[in-house]
Amino acid sequence: MAEVKLVDVSIRDGNQSLWGATGLDTAQILEIAGQLDRVGFHAIDFTSSTHMAVAVRYFKNNPWERIRRVRAAMPNSPLQLITTGLRFIAWQQAGPDFMRVVYRTLQRNGIRRFIILDPMHDADAVIEAARIAKEEGDAEVMGALTFTLSEVHDDKFYADFAAKLAASPHIDLFYLKDPSGLMSPERVRTLAPAVKAVIGNKRLEIHAHCTIGYGPVTSLAAADLGIVDAVHVGIGPLGDGSSLPEAGRMVANLREAGHDVPIDDKALANVSDYWWRLSEAEGLAPGTPQAFDASFLRHQIAGGVMTTTLRQLEELDLGHLFPRVIAETERVRAELGYPIMVTPFPQMVLTQATTNIIGGERYRQVSDQILRYALGKLGRPTSPLDPEILDAIMDRPRAKEIANEPDFPDYADLRKRFGEAMSDEEFLLRAVMPGDQVDAMLAAGPSRAGYTPEAAPVLKLLKELAARPAARDILVERPGFRLALHAGASTGAA
Amino acid sequence: MIETLFIANRGEIALRVIRTAKRLGIETVLGVSEADGRSAAAWLADRIAPVGPAPSAQSYLSVDNVVKAARDSGADALHPGYGFLAENVGLARACAEAGIVFVGPDPASLEAMGDKLMARTVGIAAGLPVVPGGEAADKDAARARAEETGYPLLLKAVSGGGGKGMKRVDDPAQLDAQIDMAMREAQAAFGDPRVYVERFIASGRHVEVQILGDGESAIHLGTRDCSIQRRFQKLVEEAPAPALPDDKRAAIEDAAVRLAKHLDYRGAGTVEFLVDSETFDFFFLEMNARIQVEHPVTEAITGIDLIEQQLLVAGGSPLALTQDMVRPFGHAIEVRINAEDWRKDFQPSPGIASSVRWPAGPGIRVDTHIFDGGEVPPFYDSLAGKLIVHGKDRDEAVAKLVAALGDFALEGMETTAGLHIAIAADPRFKAGGVDTRFFGEFAHG
Amino acid sequence: MKGDLPLTLDDVNEIVSILDGSQYDRLDIKTARFRLRVAKSDEGDGWTQQWSLEDDAPEAEAVVATAPEEIEIPEGMTAIRAALPGTFYRAPSPGADPFVEIGDTVEPDTPVGIIETMKLFNPAAAGCSGEIAEICVENAEMIAAGRVLMLVK
Repeated sequence: MAEVKLVDVSIRDGNQSLWGATGLDTAQILEIAGQLDRVGFHAIDFTSSTHMAVAVRYFKNNPWERIRRVRAAMPNSPLQLITTGLRFIAWQQAGPDFMRVVYRTLQRNGIRRFIILDPMHDADAVIEAARIAKEEGDAEVMGALTFTLSEVHDDKFYADFAAKLAASPHIDLFYLKDPSGLMSPERVRTLAPAVKAVIGNKRLEIHAHCTIGYGPVTSLAAADLGIVDAVHVGIGPLGDGSSLPEAGRMVANLREAGHDVPIDDKALANVSDYWWRLSEAEGLAPGTPQAFDASFLRHQIAGGVMTTTLRQLEELDLGHLFPRVIAETERVRAELGYPIMVTPFPQMVLTQATTNIIGGERYRQVSDQILRYALGKLGRPTSPLDPEILDAIMDRPRAKEIANEPDFPDYADLRKRFGEAMSDEEFLLRAVMPGDQVDAMLAAGPSRAGYTPEAAPVLKLLKELAARPAARDILVERPGFRLALHAGASTGAA
Repeated sequence: MIETLFIANRGEIALRVIRTAKRLGIETVLGVSEADGRSAAAWLADRIAPVGPAPSAQSYLSVDNVVKAARDSGADALHPGYGFLAENVGLARACAEAGIVFVGPDPASLEAMGDKLMARTVGIAAGLPVVPGGEAADKDAARARAEETGYPLLLKAVSGGGGKGMKRVDDPAQLDAQIDMAMREAQAAFGDPRVYVERFIASGRHVEVQILGDGESAIHLGTRDCSIQRRFQKLVEEAPAPALPDDKRAAIEDAAVRLAKHLDYRGAGTVEFLVDSETFDFFFLEMNARIQVEHPVTEAITGIDLIEQQLLVAGGSPLALTQDMVRPFGHAIEVRINAEDWRKDFQPSPGIASSVRWPAGPGIRVDTHIFDGGEVPPFYDSLAGKLIVHGKDRDEAVAKLVAALGDFALEGMETTAGLHIAIAADPRFKAGGVDTRFFGEFAHG
Repeated sequence: MKGDLPLTLDDVNEIVSILDGSQYDRLDIKTARFRLRVAKSDEGDGWTQQWSLEDDAPEAEAVVATAPEEIEIPEGMTAIRAALPGTFYRAPSPGADPFVEIGDTVEPDTPVGIIETMKLFNPAAAGCSGEIAEICVENAEMIAAGRVLMLVK
């Protein structure tokens, strides 16, 4: 069997799937970056514009500094950024001039691979974004084939899309991306060859989430086909669950099937150990292998979203309507032209289904996001909306207001507003984020260089005691550990 | 990729290297003389290996002992630290023969830069300005060279470095005697009596540039100013060099990168310049092909781990850092706390620290091997530790330095902490941009 | 730091940030591998860190004994003692004649040897007047501060 490479998604997709994208700050990543580089991953799924915004808002970390310092520590593992192509943090599409600066700045700071993911599979938009990325540096550009189950998304659909992209010199390779974990091993055995047949010698990778247990077996089935170059994995607690297959187990399974996986096992074990110690220290729930849920293939709503919706209905004493709401989501999804259930669509679809059921008349209320989607402001829908439903959605004054919403500002105007002297890095953040958040991030200064998982409980304890002082003398004792804290001139022994 | 690293050094730099190696998952073996078996570095290392009796010549300076210990330990790489054999071509070659990766530049670079006279020639070839001067094979040649160069002049050891073996000559009448002494000292310290002549630039600043190279590309990580020296030994260092016009700073940085590229330099290195404090004309002095004592100030302002970069390059990785990615922030100052009685002409004060309280807090870094019970043995240098502060600008760094020095307390040895307190309070230091005359004037002030 | 709680100096700085401004001014952590005391400074306004590195082995001893072995000093004799620890050399350079031999007359400023400490050479002066009666040290011998070098009568 052939050599199979691995792509590690722990820091971005694993963190996003399992820890709300808020699980890791710069110091925690820097601590392990050097060891991670020694494993031999083909690429690292490192960040996205969402994660860059989280860095600023949640951690007061400079996302550009994070890319630079991690890249400095990881010369052997290209850092990748996933993007819908023509957006940066803001929900609106930005113009090409602005995106040019985005792609240039990302590459100058150390991003070596882009994944362009358009859930609506608009080939022209993807190629346009790829062209800009390529003009601004020599990072690799990967096109995403985002998987879902629907009448529209058959093997031919994906092959046609892949063929269009493969014809462009700006797309270097592809991956089958299954964000909901819907792809069965049977399906990948037809889908992957159909795609490979049209992309020629451009490489193909597999990225299969484990939401209902398919991820590991589908990834293995893909590797066994001999046409898939790399498998995406999450390490330790950042694998399994709604994340990617756990790396150690995936490596073992690949080797069991006769594949050659030339990674450093000791380094991988060390990285896994670190993520485990961190997850325990920070109380972050690890991914676990998932039970197969056949109904999920039908409604495609993630467990967490389901529980939230049920709870909200119960709070309104409408819990008995829950099954109807779930059935309604399938109908809404079809009427909206089968958007792929990747953020923000699951929430949009479920919210619409809920208001359709509890509001009395279908589509009497629609959200601004649905309006924007219907108006094509989130991109060109994969297949057209049901014409009657489209009329119903548009039949309100708000539709005109949304239609007249200003587009993303012109790059030149934005530049004028912030001045030429400002660095591109700072300008790009200020253009799309609240100024006070950027100010706070800059004021916080450079990040710490490392993180000690074992110290976290001690630091937490000290923070609590400092905030709400208890006694003047505190003593914590455990086998092998003694901590004494004193306030002022104490009568206790020092 | 390095799996097991042998550290052929001691004291704070050994501890420093071990820290980074551990974070990278690299196993560490520390070479220890009989004086260092209970050191902090020995405490942290995964394993220790004896390299000989206490005197350096029989241990840390013995290529045979060091390489044998490294080989027997199963190490696949060796880090030489600074001083001792850090720039010794013999060690680099012996490692290569033993199949051990030397964490440092190629022997060719070591040879080119180790011989300070050859380094001048290489510097000129790379297009760098050098201090007027030249070789002085014997007393007559020295006299002739001195006539060209003019007085005052410096006699420097060809195989020297680190400020050792330098003699200032103000008057032709002193030249003969000073050459004798310089040659004798050079022989004793470096095993090579050759000296060369350089004009002594009275009002000079010692500005150096940290560079990193991987054999194909080379970048700089900015300047450091080390003008505060006593008898050519650095006391205080800061990054970036203050009070330099932007274009001169850029020219110095570019010159350093030019030299590194000329050498196809691999690893970390420092290019030292003398800068005229009035005109800011600069002259290449020497290049130190190793990690330097004062590297923490550059790490503080750039957020880059230089030991990590050394290990990556030595292990065969390309430099991922581009010049564009180097974004210095703020200002950092380091003071060397030596076990010396500065009020008694810096008499060495080796011993055991019965208790030592180092400062701690935001913007403070301490690189030391001396904790409670730590020993500064009499066989080696007198460095007890380095206190580094980092602020958003120089004023904040100086304020942090003053505060941190005020908190420092060590019992069991005399230290130069009090000297640094006095320096930090000096208005000329506070203003920044002092040159090499500062310490002399300060000491007599 | 190694083992169960590998606290770094960065962690200590964070501890200081947390405790600064609180009512607490002393923290004492002890594990099998180290003891760390983080405390508000007595001298200044800041904080300090004090580390003791633990080991199973017995207490560290100075490699060169700080207390010199006592030699019986005979009546009427004065001892010339080393002011510093280091390596004692009897001559100004290798192969040269020693500074003094038994029988030589010395004055307080007469050099009797060189003590090399941390790569610096310090002349050792007699410190008294008289005649060298006994030389108690070998060339290139490691000596402790206070060690009797020679006896003068």
